[in-house]
Amino acid sequence: MITIDHLTKRYGSTLVVDDISFEVEEGTLTVVVGTSGAGKSTLLRMINRLVEPTGGRVLIDGEDTRTIPEDALRHRIGYVIQGYGLFPHRNVADNIATVPRLLRWDRKRIAQRVEELLDLFQLDPAEFAHKFPHELSGGQQQRVGVARALAARPALLLMDEPFGALDAVIRSKAQDDLLAIQRRLGTTIVLVTHDMNEAFHLGDRIAVMDQARLLQYAAPAELLMHPADDFVERLVGTAERPFRLLSLTKVQEVLEAGRAEGEPITASESLHEALSRLLWTGRAALPVADAAGAIIGQVSVGSILRHGRPLP
Amino acid sequence: MRPSSLVRLSALLLLVIFVTMPEAFAFLFEPLITPGAPAIYNQGSLFALTMQHLRTVCLATLASTLLAVALGIFVTRPSGAEFLPLSRSLVNIGQTFPPIAVLAIAVPLVGFGEKPTFVALFLYGLLPIFENTLTGLTQVPPTALEAARGMGMNAWQRLVQVELPLALPMILAGIRLSVIISLGTATIGSTVAAKGLGEVIIAGLQSNNIAFVLQGGLVVALLAVLVHDGLGLLERIAARKLGRSLDETP
Repeated sequence: MITIDHLTKRYGSTLVVDDISFEVEEGTLTVVVGTSGAGKSTLLRMINRLVEPTGGRVLIDGEDTRTIPEDALRHRIGYVIQGYGLFPHRNVADNIATVPRLLRWDRKRIAQRVEELLDLFQLDPAEFAHKFPHELSGGQQQRVGVARALAARPALLLMDEPFGALDAVIRSKAQDDLLAIQRRLGTTIVLVTHDMNEAFHLGDRIAVMDQARLLQYAAPAELLMHPADDFVERLVGTAERPFRLLSLTKVQEVLEAGRAEGEPITASESLHEALSRLLWTGRAALPVADAAGAIIGQVSVGSILRHGRPLP
Repeated sequence: MRPSSLVRLSALLLLVIFVTMPEAFAFLFEPLITPGAPAIYNQGSLFALTMQHLRTVCLATLASTLLAVALGIFVTRPSGAEFLPLSRSLVNIGQTFPPIAVLAIAVPLVGFGEKPTFVALFLYGLLPIFENTLTGLTQVPPTALEAARGMGMNAWQRLVQVELPLALPMILAGIRLSVIISLGTATIGSTVAAKGLGEVIIAGLQSNNIAFVLQGGLVVALLAVLVHDGLGLLERIAARKLGRSLDETP
């Protein structure tokens, strides 16, 4: 568990991070979102002490980070930045091996770990291990950047706009891949972004920041239904609110008996996806299939619409 | 074998044959001399002089490289940043001083022979290496440095594992420039009795023997071309690893 305790950063007379406290549960993905200049990157960089706090502290599993030597602390925390910062003079395998080498793992263990990670990120070791960063596409560079950050099995991963350099199509795929890997490894992630869609797509919890202050820290649905103030409400976007709410709920949760006509939708898809298919096909209901493809019921427009507004 | 490497190889071969048995080329130089004068330099072995020449240049460049790279590293650290303007002007002064003037000043201090030449070449060679080291180190992508810091590399590890390898092609280009300048400049060392190819040229000038001047000049020129080529090859290998195209390293 990460405890951020009254964290403050001041440059001269300017407050960049103003007395922020929140807790990140183990194994969850927390998104820090806000406009540019809100202080979210500074907040993130105080967790691995790339920026020294003016006040307050950060606890990792109850251990004050100030008691751990800087470099040792950073070996334990994965870090991914926008643009990834891959080392241009090292090939993919050597880039990924950076932290294990700093930790003086033996050669065999490093080679094993690199191969494991390349497999995990769907990069064929035979093809990619010896490529240099300039020979990779943007999406591949991004995956290598995350693989490198995860190399020494950190319990915590910090990501600063990790998808910022990707185009829209690759970005949503990369987001899904990150979620899958996070679920699989159980890594705690704190991710900074200015993109509200990304925050709702990824976050178990969302921290909204503006002008150095933390305005609200809550689960996505809570943020939609009970925004703490006008700013959060505007940021969430009133017009998109119902659709965001729908994208947080799975088809499974509104399943009803019946056998509708048409192409079935998988139970793990969101209501947002179901609604858009209903609109597009002009039907009133869709059959629902489980992961194996067997029809288990249907989902109708009416049941979806009931979930698109806050419960009384 | 590619044509370019063929040219390279034959130039090297020509040089080696010429300095080891210059007599074989006497017929080429005979038309240039007054009757009775020797056509081929006869006051010492061309091979020995070439080795001496190379030795002086190598030692001087090695010393310039050590100081210039160390200085370049120092002034790009946070603790050394305030010395940047100072070291820049010091190194620039080394370049603006004509080498012949350095010789004139150095002789009373260190005596005749190789030492004053070494001093002149050393000072003259600093600037290109220093400037290129600075450029190389300041061009390291900031994201790579940020990532290195974020992964827990300390300052030394960042320098050795990230900054220097990325600056290497630029530093090599500086060394190459410095060696080429020194190869030519070293000839004037012979005015203060340093052993080297300048001796051949000066002997030719004194006895009005154009063949000597030409021989000294040709050997220096061939050396310069070959060294330029060889070091250029090294740079390209270093740059290719970084995925840069060849034209980015001047």
